[in-house]
Amino acid sequence: MRAPIVRFALVSCAMLVVGAVRTHAAPPPPVEASAHDLPWDDGTAIEITWRAPESATNIAGYRVYRLLSTEEQKRALRDRRVAAADVAWKAAYESNTSASDRIELATAAATAAAERAGAEGMPDEVAVGTAAANALRYVAAPVESGRAIAFRVRSFDADGNESPAAEAGSAAATIEIFLGTRAWFFPLLIGLCAIIIGCILLARAGRPIKVRRIAGLDAIDEAVGRATEMGRPVLYIAGVQDMDNVQTVAGVTILGRVAKIAAEYDAKIEVPTARSLVMTAARDVVQTAYFEAGRHDAYNPDTIRYITDEQFGYVAYVAGRMVREKPATCIYMGQFYAESLLLSENGNAINAIQIAGTAESSQLPFFVAACDYTLIGEEFFAASAYLAGEPTQLGSLFGQDVSKLIAMVVIVAGVILSTLGGLGLSMPKAASDYLANSILAS
Amino acid sequence: MMDGSSPTHTDPASKPAIDPDRIRWILATDCGSTTTKAILIEKVGNEYRQTQRGEAPTTVEEPFADVTVGVVNALTEIGELAGRRFIDDAGNIIRPATETEGCDIYISTSSAGGGLQMMVAGVVAQMTAASAKRAALGAGAIVMDTIAANDKRKPHEQIQRIRELRPDMVLISGGTDGGNTHQVIQIAELIAPAKPRPRFGGEYHLPIIFAGNRDAAPRIREIFRDGFDLAVVDNLRPVLEQENLGPARDKIHDVFLEHVMAHAPGYDKLISWADAPIMPTPGAVGDILQRIAERDRINAVGVDIGGATTDVFSVFGGVFNRTVSANLGMSYSISNVCAEATMPKVLRWVHLDMDERELRNRVKNKMIRPTTIPQTLEALVFEQAVSREALRLAYLQHKEFATTLKGVQQQRTVGDLFAQGSASHSIVDNMKLDLLVASGGVLSHAPRMEQTAAMLIDAFEPEGFTTLAKDSIFMMPHLGVLASVHPRAAMEVFERDCLILLGTCIAAKGHGRPGKPCFAYRFTPSVGAALAGEMHVGDLKLIRLTEGQTAEAEIVPDRHFDVGAGPGKPVRRTIRGGTVGIILDARGRPLELPEDRADCRARMTRWVADLELYP
Repeated sequence: MRAPIVRFALVSCAMLVVGAVRTHAAPPPPVEASAHDLPWDDGTAIEITWRAPESATNIAGYRVYRLLSTEEQKRALRDRRVAAADVAWKAAYESNTSASDRIELATAAATAAAERAGAEGMPDEVAVGTAAANALRYVAAPVESGRAIAFRVRSFDADGNESPAAEAGSAAATIEIFLGTRAWFFPLLIGLCAIIIGCILLARAGRPIKVRRIAGLDAIDEAVGRATEMGRPVLYIAGVQDMDNVQTVAGVTILGRVAKIAAEYDAKIEVPTARSLVMTAARDVVQTAYFEAGRHDAYNPDTIRYITDEQFGYVAYVAGRMVREKPATCIYMGQFYAESLLLSENGNAINAIQIAGTAESSQLPFFVAACDYTLIGEEFFAASAYLAGEPTQLGSLFGQDVSKLIAMVVIVAGVILSTLGGLGLSMPKAASDYLANSILAS
Repeated sequence: MMDGSSPTHTDPASKPAIDPDRIRWILATDCGSTTTKAILIEKVGNEYRQTQRGEAPTTVEEPFADVTVGVVNALTEIGELAGRRFIDDAGNIIRPATETEGCDIYISTSSAGGGLQMMVAGVVAQMTAASAKRAALGAGAIVMDTIAANDKRKPHEQIQRIRELRPDMVLISGGTDGGNTHQVIQIAELIAPAKPRPRFGGEYHLPIIFAGNRDAAPRIREIFRDGFDLAVVDNLRPVLEQENLGPARDKIHDVFLEHVMAHAPGYDKLISWADAPIMPTPGAVGDILQRIAERDRINAVGVDIGGATTDVFSVFGGVFNRTVSANLGMSYSISNVCAEATMPKVLRWVHLDMDERELRNRVKNKMIRPTTIPQTLEALVFEQAVSREALRLAYLQHKEFATTLKGVQQQRTVGDLFAQGSASHSIVDNMKLDLLVASGGVLSHAPRMEQTAAMLIDAFEPEGFTTLAKDSIFMMPHLGVLASVHPRAAMEVFERDCLILLGTCIAAKGHGRPGKPCFAYRFTPSVGAALAGEMHVGDLKLIRLTEGQTAEAEIVPDRHFDVGAGPGKPVRRTIRGGTVGIILDARGRPLELPEDRADCRARMTRWVADLELYP
């Protein structure tokens, strides 16, 4: 009976000894740790690097610590005391439910706990992150720009045992002129600009640039002509947004062309606006158009009016005007919402030729169904170059189209690479990751 | 019978009605600027045939200053040829016909003295002014200028232009009914003070036809009260969706007869002789083409290429259009053709090696000696090359003019989002063209019929199945007027004597690489063995099928080519033969010739051989 007991005791002791040895065999610390400012960044990151210790086999990773300043240490100690006091107070208060002096008891317990916590000393570091065993680099971000911060690195094993600290020194993050993570942006920008400038130069040199016929813009002459023959006005709506909206700007640009034709044909043009600034801009544009047409005497600013900012108040006015005046031509160019169908249906009911243009995709179906011609998105923005026919604008338009074509090719290439990567091919996956994370992320 | 020495102004409409069944002898003249052409139509058996023709110089100008002198001379020549007397001793046409002399009907057209010259005006150039131009051209006029509110000219420039012109009449349009009055009146106020001077006589009151907004009519009457002869007719565009050319065209014919012709030397007598109103020559050509297209339910194009101008007529879907290309012709305007088309474009049709400098000299010589005709093969080839370009440019202008109405509201659905076509487009569609009729010296008098066919095909680029024909002796004007008094006689003569059928052109629309398959064909003629084969891109082939013969044709195009039923879809049709036969054209449409001169010459040489164009 004694022999098994003794054997059990010996085995147990051996296991305890082995366990104790394993517990205390911390991995060696990393070597040549250093902290320095991360180059080509916006001044919010510090890079910490190190080397793996030689003959280290049990390292599971590295933990990076930031050294706290005195103020930070005090703040941390205070936070620790408050947290300990809170816990103790709450425990004492809840365990002495029947005592009449439970508050005093809880307060005494909290005070004691805070003193105990304070007695443990002030922490001088805080962990900021970990890195894998094969990663010998860590970027601490975000950090306060311009302040020197010290770091230390410890390796740890699979049981969480940490090595002694390897001091990495301190470094201050500084703002660089160029952001390295967006390095691809630079060649892309140069490339696209070169394409556009090249196209402009080609156009200026007399190289013919063919622009697809846009029926809606070609029909402007016809629409104004109809109004002239019928002796009725042309109604022009430049959207319901203000001049800070790019669609309104495009709408006002096209207004210039319409006004010039109206001036040449001696047709009346009416421009009710939903924003006062749009009215001012529209008056300028129309006046210029009348001057260009040599009909400055026919320009009447009173036909360009501000109605109201209220969406439906504006619509009510325009719809009423349509029904009463029965314009022969209604042109809608700008940003529209719910009023798109309300206006164009009214125009259809009075048998007006209607031309609409908007980049608001949700309103396009309504315009297409109710109008004679509709400019879709890009057509709308290309209108000024199309109408002017001026080489610089046409070259720019062509250059932008070439750039879009390149973007489309990149998208298609990305889809193909990603698909191949998904099928398990490593090269395409690496290429698609690089494309997505490095080139396009910029 | 009228006494020629004391002519009376008899309205042809007031003459006794003609019984078509009793008509046996018909005389018709066309008084051109230089030549008066007369034809005799006889009832032979139970059908009408054109039997004789005669010509004499036109005598509108001094020393005769009487158009009827030329008419009498031409009719006398016909009488001698027919062995029948048509002119009595007093110089008048003998009517009614007896067994030995005289005729039952006499009709005439006229383009002497430059034809009917008009100025038209409208509010918007592409709308009411275009309608006014269509009405005038359709009535057979030459439109000297079009005044419009948006013609980019200042009012003083417009007035200057109106004063410079000497039109026979003015057609004013503008505004829909109930529409614009302000600018219509403005146009009238430009014309009235400008006082355009008519061509004939100081006492002549210039005829003005107003076919615009009816609300403006009272004010228009006030403006043209003194010194003008105003006629108000229905609006050409009562609404923008509708074009109403009939009343204006009829009024133009009336005014032409009552005012213009009545003031031209000898025309009062000619009017009194004629059994139908004298029509402007092009108007009569248009009329007969319309009648044929309407009767056979076909689309037709007619072309008359002259020395100074080229007229193109078309009827598509029952809509008639006519254009006059004023600077495209084969003698007076040949230099302009070469300038407009450019010499390299002309030379692409020439298979011989020619020196460009020498050709330029040839062009200028033709200009200063317009009546000369080619004496060498080289000269003939070059002239026919120029004619191809003149015809091509004239047809291009015609296509641009013959459009659907502008300013018309469209109805669309969401499905049209990416397919919004322009509302206004040319109604001339070569794939739907059934009959192409040629007239004019260079086409009618080409030494070989194959040359006429080749010129038509190269210039007009017909697609699918197209019957080619030529007006044998420019008889269409006579028949146009005759159709108004005796339609049966006009149609019978048109079918049997007027048109010389050249054959049928079968051309595939599309493009492909030279040498690749274009279409396969199989012909089963009414007489003889069937014939089948395959055409490759760039090929041209002539298959003889004589006049009067027909053949069942089956064409199976490659998927890139269309012969009428859509790309790659086969077509079966009965086709007619002619003096040339069937021409299979696999050169593709639109026709593109190599830029390189050597390549182009090589290809043309092959095509010339394929069609047996030149010796």
